[in-house]
Amino acid sequence: MNARLDTFSYDDDIVRKFLFATIIFGLVGFLVGLIVALQLANPAFNFGPILTFGRLRPLHTNAVIFAFAGNAWFCGAYYSTQRLLKTRMWSDGLSKFHFWGWQAIIVAAAITLPLGYTQAKEYAELEWPIDIAIAVVWVAFAINYFMTLSKRRERHIYVAIWFFIASIITVAVLHIFNNLSIPVGPLKSYSIYAGVQDAFMQWWYGHNAVAFFLTTPFLGLMYYFMPKAAERPVFSYKLSILHFWSLVFLYIWAGPHHLHYTALPDWASTLGMVFSVMLIAPSWGGMINGLLTLRGAWHKVVEEPVLKFFVLAVTAYGMSTFEGPMLSIKSVNALAHYTDWIIAHVHTGALGWNGFLTFGMIYWLAPRLFQTQLYSKKLAETHFWVSTFGILLYVASIYSAGITQGLMWRAFDETGRLQFPDFIETTMRLMPMYWVRVAGGTLFIIGALIFAYNILMTWRRRPAAYEVQVVTAAPLSAQPAPHHAPASGGAFARFIGMGWHRKWEAAPLLFTVMVVVAVLVASLFEIIPTFLIKSNVPTIANVKPYTPLELAGRDLYIREGCFNCHSQMIRPFRYETERYGDYSKPGESVYDHPFLWGSRRIGPDLAREGGKYPALWHVRHMEDPRSLSPKSIMPAYPSLLTNPIDFGGIQKRVDAMAMLGVPYGEAVNKAEQMARDQAQAVATDVQKNGGPAGLQDKEITALVAYLQRLGTDIKKPAGVAVAPVPAKAGGN
Amino acid sequence: MTKAGEDRPIMDHEYDGIQEFDNPMPRWWLLLFLVTVILVPVYYFAPGDIGAGAKKAEVYDREMAAFAAAHPNQGGVNVTPEQMAAIVADKAEVEKGKALFSTNCVSCHRADGGGLIGPNLTDDFWIHGSSPVEIHTTIDQGVLAKGMPQWGKLLKPEQINSLSAYVVSLHGTNPANPKAPDGVLATSAPAAPAATTPTTASDPTKKP
Repeated sequence: MNARLDTFSYDDDIVRKFLFATIIFGLVGFLVGLIVALQLANPAFNFGPILTFGRLRPLHTNAVIFAFAGNAWFCGAYYSTQRLLKTRMWSDGLSKFHFWGWQAIIVAAAITLPLGYTQAKEYAELEWPIDIAIAVVWVAFAINYFMTLSKRRERHIYVAIWFFIASIITVAVLHIFNNLSIPVGPLKSYSIYAGVQDAFMQWWYGHNAVAFFLTTPFLGLMYYFMPKAAERPVFSYKLSILHFWSLVFLYIWAGPHHLHYTALPDWASTLGMVFSVMLIAPSWGGMINGLLTLRGAWHKVVEEPVLKFFVLAVTAYGMSTFEGPMLSIKSVNALAHYTDWIIAHVHTGALGWNGFLTFGMIYWLAPRLFQTQLYSKKLAETHFWVSTFGILLYVASIYSAGITQGLMWRAFDETGRLQFPDFIETTMRLMPMYWVRVAGGTLFIIGALIFAYNILMTWRRRPAAYEVQVVTAAPLSAQPAPHHAPASGGAFARFIGMGWHRKWEAAPLLFTVMVVVAVLVASLFEIIPTFLIKSNVPTIANVKPYTPLELAGRDLYIREGCFNCHSQMIRPFRYETERYGDYSKPGESVYDHPFLWGSRRIGPDLAREGGKYPALWHVRHMEDPRSLSPKSIMPAYPSLLTNPIDFGGIQKRVDAMAMLGVPYGEAVNKAEQMARDQAQAVATDVQKNGGPAGLQDKEITALVAYLQRLGTDIKKPAGVAVAPVPAKAGGN
Repeated sequence: MTKAGEDRPIMDHEYDGIQEFDNPMPRWWLLLFLVTVILVPVYYFAPGDIGAGAKKAEVYDREMAAFAAAHPNQGGVNVTPEQMAAIVADKAEVEKGKALFSTNCVSCHRADGGGLIGPNLTDDFWIHGSSPVEIHTTIDQGVLAKGMPQWGKLLKPEQINSLSAYVVSLHGTNPANPKAPDGVLATSAPAAPAATTPTTASDPTKKP
């Protein structure tokens, strides 16, 4: 057997590259997070038109998810995969292409998002050319990864590899199907889906981006770095198997819980909820396997900062994966949805689980990659405590904010009227908590800066030339055939004996196919009925496409990221319909490519904003919100009153919508003229009421036309006749 | 917590030095999983307001009907000219109205009532009637087509009364740079009730 031994080395250079990218983009992502937190605490921190909350919030989420967590995953995956498979990556060239391609995508995101180029779908904001680049880089990564698997020198693949395979495959599927769109310009596209279907696809994607970008890859990292750092065997192999497969299969179904009480059909919402509840145990399987691996090594946690970070990360994972299923329960969700509660939930996961696992991993990797001692263990300890305290402040304040807000929105006084009819009252109540969040975020960042300094100083101690470790191992062809003990006992005994799984582990291709089957079957069970069952979206005869000018205004709404703070989806609760008007029907958003239901109400819902105020109110309000609502935290958009409308580009956009099936009729031929006529009418009305003159070719006019259209197609509620609710309630 | 020695034997494999125990899955964990799995069909096929057959729209309609039954007088409280005359004459009401005006109305009518987005409230021109009862009705019902909210849904009946008293008191003040007149010239002072006012016997000061 040892007649044939291969001699090779691991590519650690690529790991070091990803490590630095993780730190740099981590700091950027955290810093943008601090800026958007400040913008909510005080609108003076908005520096329009580019640095407003609506444009920076997607930059924060994308930077943290794809740049920080993404690079951290790749860093750990390139390090562990080579060692777990006893082989160098198949192609150093593809590894480098993956690295530089990914960084280029991040830079493109950092440029285009503040400039207002967005698809308006959360965590899928990047426009179509960047989406194509992501697909190309991802395919390169996947080819490199699977070719590396094929030339491995370790017969069976370890659980960390299972998680990496599932992540690579599923992210590709999610990315492609959620981003299908038709381009209408170099950096502008319309989703091919509309309304209910678009919302469904988006949250099938959005939820599984959390699952397969922030959860499964990091479980893979945990399964490698936790036992390595603790120097203890993994607690239970069987638990790994069961929780891996149940997680992969069940996660896919859970997306609709982001759309409870919206116009999504009830069956889908219920399905999303029950599958989310089933996810508790599979998620906790990972936590248990991580924490119980530390049995017999807890004394090391006291001395070793790496393990401290891991323990907090896994605990945060356990907390947020318990909270997730709870939030998916409809009645809990009714309170939490649209509030800061969700923001607190994701930050437990992102700061605690993803952040601390990454920190721990890099503290463990740095001495090995830079072939020296860690610069300061004491600084690492300081980082741990400062950032932990930061997370606590952040999370505690934002939980309070979320629950406060949710309860204030639904409060009625003794006469049955809303207790806080003025939305701004509910916002002002949150201000102290928003400042505590700023403090918590600042502490977290101070910790991260200490971390970056520590790693930088460690790097400076590196040797003049890295020593390349030479490894020897026999190729698979020279190894004895795998011996899988013949299964004994009945079918059940054979099943729980897991011998069958051992065979799969020796066949990565079969394993991958099984993952694909699990993910696709689960997806299609929900996607097919969503698209095929007609009764999901009863058509409403009154609902007509947006006029060309309104469509242009809608694109401005998207450009400015208004959907980041304003929902357009009124839920069927009396406290919502009293405040905003009749609840939103599925048939109302059939021409919405993309849907703009939103997921957060930093400001009030706008689904029935049309006609609630005069056009002049909107002009003044966009110019300076605080002139009308002194305590408003909305950014000012004075440039909308001076920027010209791109009349020339309207025809192309109308044509694209028509191509997607929106019945535009004669507007496909004379969109520009129709837009000019309507703009003239709006501008005349504004001027007649004492507003500024000459707005007929300014962006504000298109935006106002869009806002004035919102929710007006349905005049009367379709509810019971006992208690007719006026379609337009008041509230400012 | 069991000691390491009590673990089931280590599996006969290792990856880059990582070993795995062959420990059974924790029983409580399996039980938790089992319970959630069993709950799925139970919940999904449950009749009534939960499960996949639940119709959120129907639940909502019932909620609305129940509310309407419990609050028959919601919105649209009418006042008589006599009641309004008493309220308008009450200085305390005017003061209360001023506070409400400054939080709810100034963004459109300006702090001095001179008009901005909404009309000037100080001149002799009225779009929806100049009598106290008409002013009360305009505030209470709103003018939805023009962007005046239906304040009766947002404020309590006594608050609408105070607000009306304050708006009546604005008449004849002379703010700087008022908005141009709009509407019909009222020949008499707004204190005089108009003939077209709808009247009912309900007491506006009583809570519904």
